[in-house]
Amino acid sequence: MNRFLIPVFLLTWISMAQAQLNKINFQEFTLDNGLHVILHQDKSTPIVAVSVMYHVGSKNENPERTGFAHFFEHLLFEGSENISRGEYDKYIEKAGGTLNANTSMDRTYYFEILPSNQLELGLWLESERMLHAKVENVGIETQRQVVKEERRQRIDNQPYGSFLEQIMKRAYKTHPYKWPVIGSMAHLDAAEEKDYKNFYKDFYVPNNAIISIAGDIDYENAKALVTKYFSTIPKSMKPIYRPTVVEPALGGEVRDTFYDNIQLPAVLMAYRIPAAGTPEYYAVSMLGTLLSQGESSRLQRALVDDQQKAVAVGNFPLDLEDPGVSIAYGICSMGTDVLDAEKSITAEIDRIKTEPIGDEEFQKWSNQVENDFVTSNSRVAGIAESLANYKMYYGDANLINTELQRYLAVTKDDIKNAAIKYYNNNNRVVLHYLPKPVNP
Amino acid sequence: MKKLIFAFSVIFFFTQCAKKTIETASNVQQNQVDKSWRKMAPAPAAARDIQLGAYSTFDLANGLKVIVVENHKLPKVSYQLSLNNEALIEGDKAGYTSFAGELINKGTKNRTKAQIDESIDFIGADLSTSASGIFASSLKKHGDKLLEIMTDVLYNPTFPKEEFEKVRKRTASNLASSKTNPEAIASNIRSIVNFGSNHPYGEVQTDETIKNITVDDCVKYYNTYFKPNNAYLVIVGDITPEEAKAQANKYFSKWEKGTIPSFNYNTPTPVKGAQVRFGNKDGAVQSVINISYPVDMKPGSADAIKASLMNSILGGGIFSGRLMQNLRDKKAYTYGARSNISTDKLLGNFNAFASVRNEVTDSSVTEFLYEMNRIVKEPVSESDLKLAKSSTAGNFGRSLESPQTIANFALNTFRYNLPKDYYNNYLKNVDAVTVGDIQAMASKYIRPENCNIVVVGNKDNVADKLKKFDADGELDFYDAFGKKIETNNVALSADITAQSVIEDYIEALGGSAKLKAVKTLQLGMKASMMGQEASFETYQMAPDKYASKMQMMGMVVQEQKYNGVKASVGQMGKNQILTEGSELAEIKKQAILFEQLRYNTTGYKMELKGIENVEGSNCYKLVVTDPMEKQTTEFYDVKSGLLMRTVSASEKMTMTIDYKDYKAVDGIMIPHTSSISGVMPTALVMEATNVAINKEISPDTFKVE
Repeated sequence: MNRFLIPVFLLTWISMAQAQLNKINFQEFTLDNGLHVILHQDKSTPIVAVSVMYHVGSKNENPERTGFAHFFEHLLFEGSENISRGEYDKYIEKAGGTLNANTSMDRTYYFEILPSNQLELGLWLESERMLHAKVENVGIETQRQVVKEERRQRIDNQPYGSFLEQIMKRAYKTHPYKWPVIGSMAHLDAAEEKDYKNFYKDFYVPNNAIISIAGDIDYENAKALVTKYFSTIPKSMKPIYRPTVVEPALGGEVRDTFYDNIQLPAVLMAYRIPAAGTPEYYAVSMLGTLLSQGESSRLQRALVDDQQKAVAVGNFPLDLEDPGVSIAYGICSMGTDVLDAEKSITAEIDRIKTEPIGDEEFQKWSNQVENDFVTSNSRVAGIAESLANYKMYYGDANLINTELQRYLAVTKDDIKNAAIKYYNNNNRVVLHYLPKPVNP
Repeated sequence: MKKLIFAFSVIFFFTQCAKKTIETASNVQQNQVDKSWRKMAPAPAAARDIQLGAYSTFDLANGLKVIVVENHKLPKVSYQLSLNNEALIEGDKAGYTSFAGELINKGTKNRTKAQIDESIDFIGADLSTSASGIFASSLKKHGDKLLEIMTDVLYNPTFPKEEFEKVRKRTASNLASSKTNPEAIASNIRSIVNFGSNHPYGEVQTDETIKNITVDDCVKYYNTYFKPNNAYLVIVGDITPEEAKAQANKYFSKWEKGTIPSFNYNTPTPVKGAQVRFGNKDGAVQSVINISYPVDMKPGSADAIKASLMNSILGGGIFSGRLMQNLRDKKAYTYGARSNISTDKLLGNFNAFASVRNEVTDSSVTEFLYEMNRIVKEPVSESDLKLAKSSTAGNFGRSLESPQTIANFALNTFRYNLPKDYYNNYLKNVDAVTVGDIQAMASKYIRPENCNIVVVGNKDNVADKLKKFDADGELDFYDAFGKKIETNNVALSADITAQSVIEDYIEALGGSAKLKAVKTLQLGMKASMMGQEASFETYQMAPDKYASKMQMMGMVVQEQKYNGVKASVGQMGKNQILTEGSELAEIKKQAILFEQLRYNTTGYKMELKGIENVEGSNCYKLVVTDPMEKQTTEFYDVKSGLLMRTVSASEKMTMTIDYKDYKAVDGIMIPHTSSISGVMPTALVMEATNVAINKEISPDTFKVE
């Protein structure tokens, strides 16, 4: 029941994975039905993480039926032909395991962490979900209510909770990133059982999924079990819908104000950036580290410590499959004008374009990246997810071992050029969050 | 402030959440060949033995005990310095030990705060300090640099005055926001009613106690307790015991030992009968329920594992605990209901808790007590026990993935003097627990007859229905910091009506003739917000014109004008014209001079709710509904007749305004201090700088364009 939201910056690092110092070994193969399988053995603890990543996120949705991908994350715990409603969790709990799931703009991810002797149970549960999950009105009705509560609790009723939705709808005009993952409640209400059944048939198929298993396994046994449970699941003969629309350049600054139930004004600046995995993406990502990682980073030092204009600042790129955005933000300290905070953040960004980055600062930044890489693969659950991510987005699971080189290949000039090219005013959405007026 | 920062570090790009439904039968037609082998869940394979990692330990000459857990999976090492002293009674300076802990890394004889930050970030490391010690971690190759900074912080903290004031300010903000946080209120009340204020666990930080703290208190705490013979150094990660020994000697052997005071605390008197402890939160739509009492169970005692399994059946698990099954799945009273039982060297406690809708507050308490009684009276089923055991064993197994777990086991073994093989035998002992053990634990530790039923919620809607649970039929009321309100049950004399309260108020202000003669009212106020000064000007002109302006650092931050028909609302240079809607209605209400004069006219409804204590004085509590159906709770002082407090709730927040410091201006009493809480992280205290009655105001002031 506690499916935690994942902090953005963490996500970036989770997907970045491993330092060169401890190589992650793995094996992979593809079943005839197209299901890709990745196995990583780590016998140090008798547990196993079983995960399935489906290559469907909010960007694969029909614009008239937004929110479906996320809705399925709820619906697919309802049970299957062989699992009664409400029993999915109980199987896991009785086995001494835990489970969770989450949805992004690009993919949907399910996982269980179990004692390693229960590997087969995890495979059975996941294969039931893929083969013949229960997609019917009684579950749909229940989950509609739950998703509405979720929206109220996590977005509407949370200070700044709507920020991503508000930014993306201004940063994109045609690409499906313009609508929120949680989607439109009206769309979910309007949808009929057959819409849901079709979505399941279109996307929840082996040739649109990766199963990734990490932990205390024997490779041969795991391969045999995966084959037993998944190889008879029919593949889809239809091409899987993936949007090809290319979002045109922003074509000038977009500036707006949003009134929310908040106490302190905030400024958010979203710069359009290249897709995750491209060389320039790495430079942009490094730029973010330089600006905001650690108490001594540039934005933190300037806005929070020295000028005391903000109580919190940051910059993080969304690592999206299609070109995304990098968001710089500041939550103003009491009495600071939001424009003033905006100017100070912009000044720090401009400094990167004009002033050389010092050797020591560059070294600090490499050290931080290295530390984050090493730390990111300390758990088998994280390794299973990273392997699936790398394979799904870039077609190469081994990036778990090699991606650090791509980060470390970024030079000071690359950072400067990325700042000049992407962090410019014509390429950004500036959104001011202001408190809804309250009469004193 | 924490909340805001948290909000931004969280992504909404991933939305995730639970599903949970009621079981029904299902049948979908088979579309494949033979799938009958799929019908049943597969049986588990043979379980692998769970092996606990090893640790080694040695002492330095100065008494520092070092625990080393070698784990080469990642090239990282962490150093955790844990103090061993008991909790202290902090008295009228509650909070000073945590101040001391926070300040240790805010400046040393060799480094400023900025230099500490810079050098930690440079090696990509983490360093944090608290009242109970210091934690640091980095890649192995930076270990020496890290230890140099860590020990600089340990040996040479300077407790800079300006950093001390920052900590005090931050704590004050947190306290202000906790006044309206029902969980925080419940936790304060719970601490005090369970442990009493003469026990370290019964102390609560308040505005007063943090005002009493000085830098010297922090220095004294540091000087007394940050000593090697009062500490454990836990080293975990990519390091051999030999390397660890060399490092410990190099960096920690010159640390000088000291004498650590020890204390004995009286065991608080156990609660007799069920006692309902009520904390009021006007306008709350949910009630927080905590059913709690102290439990004397030491870590590692024979009961600890059995009692923990018993609690797991009652209120643990992902979804399987009885409280969750009953209050959430069956009754749908709440999103979640759980319970805890804790062991502690001094004194542990039991707590069963949930947040529930107002209407079902008493029904929820009934269900909590029902489940507590049931587990005492009826033996649990074998299958319930089996589920609790496998879930407990699963958690234990998964926790071992982190080498820090082994380090914590070692630390607990020393700190609580556990048998050396306590954790090695843990799963065996879990497995040995019987149905009879569970019932014995329930009889011993579950006490529905003698418990504190702490409820924080909307008094008017909820409190009366809780009397039936209280052994003596009388509720006890507490303020936000757990202080008992003694004068809550003052009887209302029969000749007092809502009407008479308002008449007395109008009289107290100066009488209706004087109030009606007011044509304009101009009020200037100033307030300090996080170190910045803000000024407010409001202008009212009879019958219905209004303007207000808020300025900070010479800039107009917010401006409102209302000309009797429409309003303009400006914020940071952006202007919006309002011609209808709830915001306009709100401004319209502001425009009314002395609204109480209208309370006896059509459209207004008043209800006298009784007498309640507001910050030490008895007040009549009135719920007023205006013609727009907006409800406000108002408190009028019994003695002076003056308005002391208003509380108005909207869907998303509850705003409380306290009025103080009434002074006569041209024969009319005007409050010169008003304090607004509930809308901002800290209370906004506004002080009047000038008040002018019937002074001419330019019509332009109200011009909407």
